[in-house]
Amino acid sequence: MPHRCVRCGTIYDDGASEILKGCPCGARLFFFIKKKHLEESKEMIVNLSQEEKQQMEEDVFELVGAEPDKDRPVILDFESIRVLKPGQYLLDLVNLFKKDQPLVFKLADGKYVIDVPGTFKKFAK
Amino acid sequence: MGFLTNFFNKFFKNLFGKKSHLKLGLYGPPNGGKSTLANRICKDWLGEELSTVSNIPHETREIQVKEQVNIKNKKGKEISFSLVDTPGIATKIDYEDFIKKGMKAKTAKKRAKEATKGVIESIRWLDDMDAVSVVLDATQDPYSQVNITIVGNLAARNIPVLIVANKMDLKKAKMDKVKAAFPQYKVVGVSAKYDKNINDFYEHLFKLVG
Repeated sequence: MPHRCVRCGTIYDDGASEILKGCPCGARLFFFIKKKHLEESKEMIVNLSQEEKQQMEEDVFELVGAEPDKDRPVILDFESIRVLKPGQYLLDLVNLFKKDQPLVFKLADGKYVIDVPGTFKKFAK
Repeated sequence: MGFLTNFFNKFFKNLFGKKSHLKLGLYGPPNGGKSTLANRICKDWLGEELSTVSNIPHETREIQVKEQVNIKNKKGKEISFSLVDTPGIATKIDYEDFIKKGMKAKTAKKRAKEATKGVIESIRWLDDMDAVSVVLDATQDPYSQVNITIVGNLAARNIPVLIVANKMDLKKAKMDKVKAAFPQYKVVGVSAKYDKNINDFYEHLFKLVG
């Protein structure tokens, strides 16, 4: 499955080393794109301005309350919160209420995990 | 010696300490009247308010806690608890809804972000609750995803629940519909804003945790 860098928009194929190491532009967040939605997603991303993308990234980091583990980018195929654009959020309550699932934010048409175990008191229980 | 100390500490904690550590959470969708009810409880028993209220949804975006609220019933029975007012839980938070209420875009976006964080916080606190009052707006359809998910998760965690059908002062309020939606729970109809039937709420609270 292709991944697109949130910051510079470069698309990487599944298993590309950049997804694990981070994009050369310095970003470590990737949109996860299903092939059939690739064309649609290109349009959606284009519709978002650079400022909006930056804002979404900042907002989500702020929501989580910490920087992600920069050494271990992880991408999963489910999300608990979808950020459509700055200020617009869709929350999947069923996922959010699950005790054993991390908080996953999805930006526009892709998604990424913020892996901050410290913020999840519920994991400790 | 250590064993004896532990034993007595535990014994007295069970005897006297149990109720003072009780946490009562007010949960529910935005604008159901959680903060209005929290303020009513605090006013009645402490003489002061806890949270700010507004008719724009998501006014409470951070958990508000009032420690040591003591309430008494007519029979002289007393319970003591920490009252936890939580941000409203929603499936969609859109800054454009706040703009429609007259807010500027920047403030509206900030409010949406804080409200989203509030939902996460509310859910994180759920496991710390000893009992929960789910506060619903009785004029709204009770069969919403938010209501069902909250009540379902409380049941799964074995947390005692009291449903509060609020805004009963309004003509559109339908107590029967709320009761029909949650037949396995006690439902009490109140108007937190106009102080209607609040004593009934306290009596139900005694039955729930007393």
